[in-house]
Amino acid sequence: MKDLTASEFAMVGTRAPRRDARDKIHGITRYADDFSLGGMLYAKVVRSTRASARLVRVDTSKAAALPGVRCIMTAADVPHNVLFTDVPGQTTVVGALRARTQVLAADRVRYFGEPIALIAADTEEIAEQARGLVEIEYEDLPGVFDPVEAMHPEAPQLEETGNVISRWRVRQGDVDAGFAAADVIVEHTYQTPFIDHAFIEPEIGVGWLDEDGVITIRVATQVIEHFRDVANVLGLPHSKVRLIAPFIGGGFGGKEDVTVEVYIGLLVWKTGRPVRLLYTREESIITPTKRHPFRMRYKHGVRKDGTITAIEAEFISDAGAYAYLSPLVLLYAMVHSSGPYRCANVKVDGTAVLTNNTPTSAFRGFGSAQPAFGYESQMDACARAISMDPLAFRERNYVCKGESLPCGQPVDHAVLLTETARRAWEALGPSCAAPPGKRLGRGIASTLTSFGRIVWLHDWSAAWVELQMDGTIMVRIGVPDLGGGQASSLVQITAEIFRIPMSSITIHIGDSSLTPLAGTTTATRQLYMSGSAVHKAGMELRAGLLEQASSVLGVPAAALTMDGGAVVQVDGAKRISFQELAASCSRSGRERYRHSVFHAPAGKVMDFETGQGRVFPDLTFGSQAVEVEVDEATGAVRVTKLATCYDVGRVINRNSVEGQMEGGAAMGLGYALTEEDILEQGVPRTPNLMTYLIPTALDVPDITTIVLESGEGSGPWGARGIGEPAMVPTAPAIANAVYDAVGVRLTQLPLTPERVWRAMRDAAP
Amino acid sequence: MLPHVDYVRAEGVAHALALLDRHGAGARLLAGGTDLLVDLRERRSAPALLVDISELDELAAIRAEDGALHIGAGVTVAALREDATVQAEFPALAEAARWFADYLTRNKATLGGNLANASPGADFLVPLLALDAAVTIAAAAGDRTVPLDQFLLGPRQTALGRGELLREVVLPRSAPAGQAYEKLGLKHGGAIAVVSCAVVMDVRAGRGARVRIVLGAAAPRPFRARAAEERLEGQPLSAERAEQAAALAAGAAQPISDVRGSAEYRRAMVQALVRRGIDAAQAAAVRS
Ligand SMILES: Cc1cc2nc3c(=O)[nH]c(=O)nc-3n(C[C@H](O)[C@H](O)[C@H](O)COP(=O)(O)OP(=O)(O)OC[C@H]3O[C@@H](n4cnc5c(N)ncnc54)[C@H](O)[C@@H]3O)c2cc1C
Repeated sequence: MKDLTASEFAMVGTRAPRRDARDKIHGITRYADDFSLGGMLYAKVVRSTRASARLVRVDTSKAAALPGVRCIMTAADVPHNVLFTDVPGQTTVVGALRARTQVLAADRVRYFGEPIALIAADTEEIAEQARGLVEIEYEDLPGVFDPVEAMHPEAPQLEETGNVISRWRVRQGDVDAGFAAADVIVEHTYQTPFIDHAFIEPEIGVGWLDEDGVITIRVATQVIEHFRDVANVLGLPHSKVRLIAPFIGGGFGGKEDVTVEVYIGLLVWKTGRPVRLLYTREESIITPTKRHPFRMRYKHGVRKDGTITAIEAEFISDAGAYAYLSPLVLLYAMVHSSGPYRCANVKVDGTAVLTNNTPTSAFRGFGSAQPAFGYESQMDACARAISMDPLAFRERNYVCKGESLPCGQPVDHAVLLTETARRAWEALGPSCAAPPGKRLGRGIASTLTSFGRIVWLHDWSAAWVELQMDGTIMVRIGVPDLGGGQASSLVQITAEIFRIPMSSITIHIGDSSLTPLAGTTTATRQLYMSGSAVHKAGMELRAGLLEQASSVLGVPAAALTMDGGAVVQVDGAKRISFQELAASCSRSGRERYRHSVFHAPAGKVMDFETGQGRVFPDLTFGSQAVEVEVDEATGAVRVTKLATCYDVGRVINRNSVEGQMEGGAAMGLGYALTEEDILEQGVPRTPNLMTYLIPTALDVPDITTIVLESGEGSGPWGARGIGEPAMVPTAPAIANAVYDAVGVRLTQLPLTPERVWRAMRDAAP
Repeated sequence: MLPHVDYVRAEGVAHALALLDRHGAGARLLAGGTDLLVDLRERRSAPALLVDISELDELAAIRAEDGALHIGAGVTVAALREDATVQAEFPALAEAARWFADYLTRNKATLGGNLANASPGADFLVPLLALDAAVTIAAAAGDRTVPLDQFLLGPRQTALGRGELLREVVLPRSAPAGQAYEKLGLKHGGAIAVVSCAVVMDVRAGRGARVRIVLGAAAPRPFRARAAEERLEGQPLSAERAEQAAALAAGAAQPISDVRGSAEYRRAMVQALVRRGIDAAQAAAVRS
């Protein structure tokens, strides 16, 4: 089948207004919380106030006696009190085990805030009051809050199988020989913090029992496939649970694991009534999941000519109290550990460890962001150590198309890193003099982030595209739209294929029972996977419709195209409207719809001994350059300029691409400068937005976005993913700029004024 | 979630006082609510009745009278920020309003709420103490005026008695021309002070005069660093002397360690900000 070519594009690459934008701006969009049902109960979760304890007694009698309380559930009431996160291909102590989380704590709590009981009541006030009446007696158990301490054999053990839940390695060449061949060795240990996704919409859902006894939950989730998890906990057939994802107010990985849906499912199942559960901001911050803090020792060997002779790295990741996706996040970190650079001798070891801290899991970048802070700080330090320009040093070492990363991950498509770095750097413009008491500095970082799921997970997405009898088009696809414009981009792709305005297309998304399953909105995979599924279904339907038109018009299909809601003869007069075409299909029994499945290229499981092999279908590369102003007296860092440049392969919607690039940089700026979930002995000390500091409009400079299109990528028409990659270079670029300004290398995020001040003071002669 | 609480909108100051009188300890005044609603939500306070004074015009005026500027307790931070007299004569106060919270909060938050709440990091207490402000307290029995320093008893403690209301802030208009307010926050929008300071002074024949140095978030309540002031008062000004004063201020601080910063850092920052404040105030005084 002949595909459309770039020169033919009418819609792709434009700034077509997003179809969800207007309603969002006008406050009309009905998010998960903008929905209620008659007789709805309000739920609250009773949580542990200890980070490590045995539950001696949980007495709900007083709470149950409160008028208006309809249901209280504890672990004993949960049919199957376990949630699994499948971790394929694990080779560690956990072995083939599936990562387990208890739905409600049965006899032991392992982190502060762990759910112990559920309450459903007539009003939120009553539920809240009842929460205070549940009596819980604890027997404190020793806890462990530092992953390095948790690795000691004598440390308190969170699981019988031990605290170490995952180990991965990468081996290539001979690092000893590599270091021996180096002129300079640069070694630092880097640390990154727990951070919160801080989406504007906390975890929220409303569930009810439908006419057919199906537990239906309208929930803010990135993964409607969790209907199976809810069903498994309830011991129900999978078809008896249905998840609907309305428009979502941000996910960033924080709505990738199961959140409120399982509690809502339990309470609906138990009461038979509609149930709403909304987390407060505090609950959202203290509950799973967070980004993993990493401790990363990096050692680079370089020759004076700029060759990297060896890279050695060791990662220790704090998984918190339950595994969740920690082993996979660590695996991603391994693949990304060397950055987008060539190196013959590499040795990387990673360990993920349980502690009594808040559990950690997916977060935008998924294990590619922490190493980026390490390797890009290292690249800067190496360049300076051999007195080479940091850009020139990088350019010498960027991996090229056709080569492989040190872990054997092939690089199949264009690598425009040199151009992204130069363009971002140039966009900073001429320097000005620093104001009194301030110092200016500039820094850059180039990074890579995979998109699409691991190749041995056999990812697929399915789409339904249908020509309606009135000539309009309907798309059905189970994509949750997190706010990134996922649905709108699919409509735009459809509009391109059928050459009709986006307003003539209706899309139904995010329903685990009624829309074809399209997989998770994670791993920067929806434009790639679901864009490809819609492209496939759309092109197949288009071909079928052209054939039908060919037989009606008596013109060869090759001489036909689509335009303005009709099939038209190229350079000719004949045409048939979509409406007439639909009628003709119906008369002749030709399908007016297409259900197609897009399978990502699958691959063999990597070699666990060496970490060698293909892990991901594709990669996105880009660079960011920043200018910072550092206050000499206080250590406060202000980002004055920020330019971000990516090769996105092919732009589908220009506004959405730029939006992701700007939002990613703003989020990266928070990671760099202010965001940190501070835990003391497992107790969250920054449980609100007064203490957990996300950037505001005053903290983010005007961002210059530069979008390159190599036309090479695994997505539709050569598109690449941009959602996660967009935040990854910001923190190291800022740290490198701070070095440039004040000559000290900060190795711990965030770069708070106090940390910068201490580093400057300690470095002062 | 906010607890259930009764609510009355006061029709005037007299009405508000009557309501306070009638309901005793269970009643609380509600101005912008930017402190109080947070307290209610976090169950730090459980009043039975909220008396809303946020719509009272008589509390929202700024007027010059008898050589003083009278700023109503109900004046919002946004209004304070835009007032021409405040900008011209009390730049330290204007500066505190400039960096206060964020746009949304400034439209609700009031000067009176900031003072009555008396948090150790409250921004306005700092310049107002340095400007020798007094406050007028209204009660059923009549009004009384007390110096701000005496109004402020400790962290979250003021001289406001039961049934009383803060009516206005009174600022003598002969304030020194040299004024500065310095605040260190962890971000630019909506940051609570790690530490702050106000420096107010005149420069007469190269010597400091009417010097006030007040520190915020550096002790349980904002306070005047008198030893630092004395180092400049009547003394010939120099960079060295400014640094000595800053060091004395740092020595007088009793900072705590918390998620915003360690005590050590806070103390060092007192010194840095006071130094900066002295330089700025001195420059402003010399300019005028
Ligand atoms: C997002 C955010 C950012 C903030 N940033 C800052 C900041 O940068 N700097 C800062 O200093 N503060 C800040 N605050 C705290 C708060 O906004 C200020 O203290 C504000 O001035 C309080 O005023 P209000 O009118 O909202 O007081 P309310 O919350 O209405 O009242 C506070 C207290 O004062 C009492 N009260 C109010 N008016 C009177 C009166 N006339 N007489 C007697 N008692 C009265 C109330 O009963 C209550 O006890 C911030 C708060 C928020 C929510």
